[in-house]
Amino acid sequence: MLPEIIVLITAFTLMFVDLFLKRETRYFLMGIPLGGLALAFISVFFLSNRKSFGGQFSLENIDLWLKVFFILCAFVIAIASFSFILGESKETCHKKQIYSFEFLTILLFNLSGMLFLVSARDLLTLYVSLELSTLPLFILTAWKRDALSSEAGLKYVVLGALASALLLLGFSIFYGLTGTMDLVLIGRSTNVSPLFWFASVLVISAIGFKLTLVPFHMWAPEVYQGAPTVVTAYLSVASKGAGLVLMFQIFFRIFGASISSFYFAIALLSALTMTLGNVVAIVQENIKRFMAFSAISQAGYLIMGFLGGFHANSQAVLQGLSRTHPLIALSMMIGLFGLAGIPPLSGFIGKFFLFSVAASSGFYWLVAVAAINSVISLYYYLRIVRQMYIEPVLETTVFPMKLSMGGLLGSLVVISVLLGLVPVFYETILWTWKN
Amino acid sequence: MQVSCLVFLPLLTAFLVIMTPRRFSYLIRWISVFGTGLHLALTIMISFLFWAEAKGDGELLRTSLVFKLHLVEKISWFDSLGIQYFVGIDGISLTMVVLTSIIIFAGVLASWNVKERAKEFFALLLILVTGVFGVFVSFDLFLFFMFYELAVLPMYLLIGIWGTGPKEYAAMKLTLMLLIGSAFILVGFFALYYGSGFYTFDLIKLATANFPVDFQRWVFPMIFVGFGVIGALYPLHTWSPDGHSSAPTAVSMLHAGVLMKLGGYGALRIAVFLLPEGAKYWGLFFMGLTTINILYGSFGAIWQKDLKYFTAYSSVSHCGFVLFGISALNFMGMKGAVIQMFSHGIMTGLFFGLIGMVYGRTHTRIISEMGGLARVMPWLATCFYIGGLASLGLPGLSGFIAESHVFLGGFFGHSLQSVGQSGALMKTFTLIATLSIVVTAVYVLRGLGRVFQGPIENAEFANLEDAMLSEKLSTGILVVVLIVVGLYPSILIDVIEPAIRPVLNRLAGGL
Repeated sequence: MLPEIIVLITAFTLMFVDLFLKRETRYFLMGIPLGGLALAFISVFFLSNRKSFGGQFSLENIDLWLKVFFILCAFVIAIASFSFILGESKETCHKKQIYSFEFLTILLFNLSGMLFLVSARDLLTLYVSLELSTLPLFILTAWKRDALSSEAGLKYVVLGALASALLLLGFSIFYGLTGTMDLVLIGRSTNVSPLFWFASVLVISAIGFKLTLVPFHMWAPEVYQGAPTVVTAYLSVASKGAGLVLMFQIFFRIFGASISSFYFAIALLSALTMTLGNVVAIVQENIKRFMAFSAISQAGYLIMGFLGGFHANSQAVLQGLSRTHPLIALSMMIGLFGLAGIPPLSGFIGKFFLFSVAASSGFYWLVAVAAINSVISLYYYLRIVRQMYIEPVLETTVFPMKLSMGGLLGSLVVISVLLGLVPVFYETILWTWKN
Repeated sequence: MQVSCLVFLPLLTAFLVIMTPRRFSYLIRWISVFGTGLHLALTIMISFLFWAEAKGDGELLRTSLVFKLHLVEKISWFDSLGIQYFVGIDGISLTMVVLTSIIIFAGVLASWNVKERAKEFFALLLILVTGVFGVFVSFDLFLFFMFYELAVLPMYLLIGIWGTGPKEYAAMKLTLMLLIGSAFILVGFFALYYGSGFYTFDLIKLATANFPVDFQRWVFPMIFVGFGVIGALYPLHTWSPDGHSSAPTAVSMLHAGVLMKLGGYGALRIAVFLLPEGAKYWGLFFMGLTTINILYGSFGAIWQKDLKYFTAYSSVSHCGFVLFGISALNFMGMKGAVIQMFSHGIMTGLFFGLIGMVYGRTHTRIISEMGGLARVMPWLATCFYIGGLASLGLPGLSGFIAESHVFLGGFFGHSLQSVGQSGALMKTFTLIATLSIVVTAVYVLRGLGRVFQGPIENAEFANLEDAMLSEKLSTGILVVVLIVVGLYPSILIDVIEPAIRPVLNRLAGGL
């Protein structure tokens, strides 16, 4: 439980220290979240596989990887948000009543929620940690406090509350059916009854909301567009990751025995989501909405999110980027190709693995749909590549590039290539899969 | 180790090119030429190694029905998925590698004049060629697919940035069509992976699997059509004329010369080899389609006004021979298909290289605007004629060897499927396809005559210069190869034959 504790302590420390420091010395404050996250990152490697709190909190190999992933995401977002936090002038802060470092505090709360979610083995822990990770996201979405951002926040709250109500109702039915909170015990002791199906539908809808599966995706474009860009990036990676963890917990621990009866529903949701997300993404002009639709069809828009951080809101602004900022253009291209699943980038082996899972259960038609969808997605990624590499330079597009951002992008690119070539990560997942 | 060097040497060269500062553009060119030259030397060395190993096996190799790989490297990679880094070389691979090595060397020499963003150009070209080499030596389907995609994608930028005409349209069309093809291939690979029951992507191991006949009948067209897209199978060839005519010189050389061969190579090596029953079931159908290919391409070429479209259509016709020979499903036909891959690769490479050089001087590719160019550029004209004659199948040049094999295979070959009516159908298809010889002679001689013969029509062309040294070197190599293969074809045939026997053995029902 060490990383969770460290993250929470960091969050509280940051909150209090921020109160007593003057604005000028605030640069010093940057060290606290980064240091805390680094410490949490290191502490993960000292964890061992065991259960605590009577089995409500437990650790397996795959959980460690997920924790590492979430902490890294938060770390990257923290660095990326510095210019966003420090960039606000004193007057605007005062006028809007923004206390900049709250941003990071809230981010850390969200992170702790996701870390708990990974290890939860109990309905109540699962629900509470999910809420702990979702509520901060509502606040972060509305952070800019302009019309768009507030609207996005409100939409997110209302729909999010609905989803979590559905989830809670589903959970309480599971509890009523089996009389236990323990996920694995529920899985073992459920009899397939109409009430069980009803509860499953409720829970799957809630998961669908988290993962922006069609037809539960309607909130995503508004929220992605309205939220500050850094938050959009975070939403599309970490929040999706949390949704996947939730799905993993429920499908493999509760539905474990009867999972094959859900195969068709999953395949259908997945085919619908890919196709609709892709097709609608083609016609989007606003790059954040485009990201949203594209993220509906697949998670992981990290690198693009940063580019949005340079206030590029229309695709046309990227024109000639390869000549004004070769490094950004290159990393964006590699990021896009990674998403499209082009080898040897991380997206390729990931997709290959997913396809092979679908094929192993005989869903060859889904593999075909998915493969064709990835070609469609490549179409609009290539359009962006064209803007950056083929179209001539527009003078208005020049914006300064910070060294820290360059380093960040570079390392993300390297990670993306390494993940595609080095088997360790996928071997761990597969190992867990088979056991 | 040698084979890995073969694959990753271009990548290393690309890395060096990227590291070179932009202002030393001549250094970038020299690095590329040196890298590809070294690669050619390495390829020749490997050919000798291959010969040495093959000779060691002596007579056995000539008649052996077992799949024999040389210079194998096998490292387990994604262990739990059964994915390996598995490379090696057999006769077909070696032929293709030699072809690619020659074309990329000539291509780099031919793009001596690329000044605009030269660094990115050469880096992308070298990355692309890494993918091509990777495909030709991989014997693990995962690795194969990975290199395949790596070979297709840089094409988008190469055509989009340095191309001419409607380049963005052409680039997008080409990339998307080829990738849709690769989507089919991927589904087919997964079917092989799970259908075999071995849970492996190892091609050699998959070849020992007994796939059910029904299974083969739906997987075979998936894979064959998937590769057919890049092999310009009618009616999926439409990316080819647009793509080739918009691409810059070296890229059209590489694309028409080598990339289109990935289609024939994959169809033979994976589709026919692994799924013989499927091949027998669909063979005649694809033979019919490729007959259309051959005729459609050559008739299409007659009407073209632009030299590059002219060559692109002739490529469609010639690549039809490759798939035609493969779908004939017999020894002669397949042998002819592989020789045709090699011969057409060199020939088209030569054509596109020459067109680039002529265009660089006249700034037009419209056939009717030229005339009498042989007077001012005798070297280029001579090379063009030799290539043209090879393309219409003149004995003594490589095209004749290839086409005669393919036709003999189609007509006389004892096809495994030739019972009763289908034998007659095969003969009919072959007879129709032979018409293309006449049509090819018409368009080649007419086209070349318009461009090079007669008086110089445009006064501006009177002062043009002939090829410079790098261009002479680039075209010279290709012409020499065309003549050598034409006069002494055993140099190829001896290598190809042992590699084709295992495929036939599978077709005959052996394991």
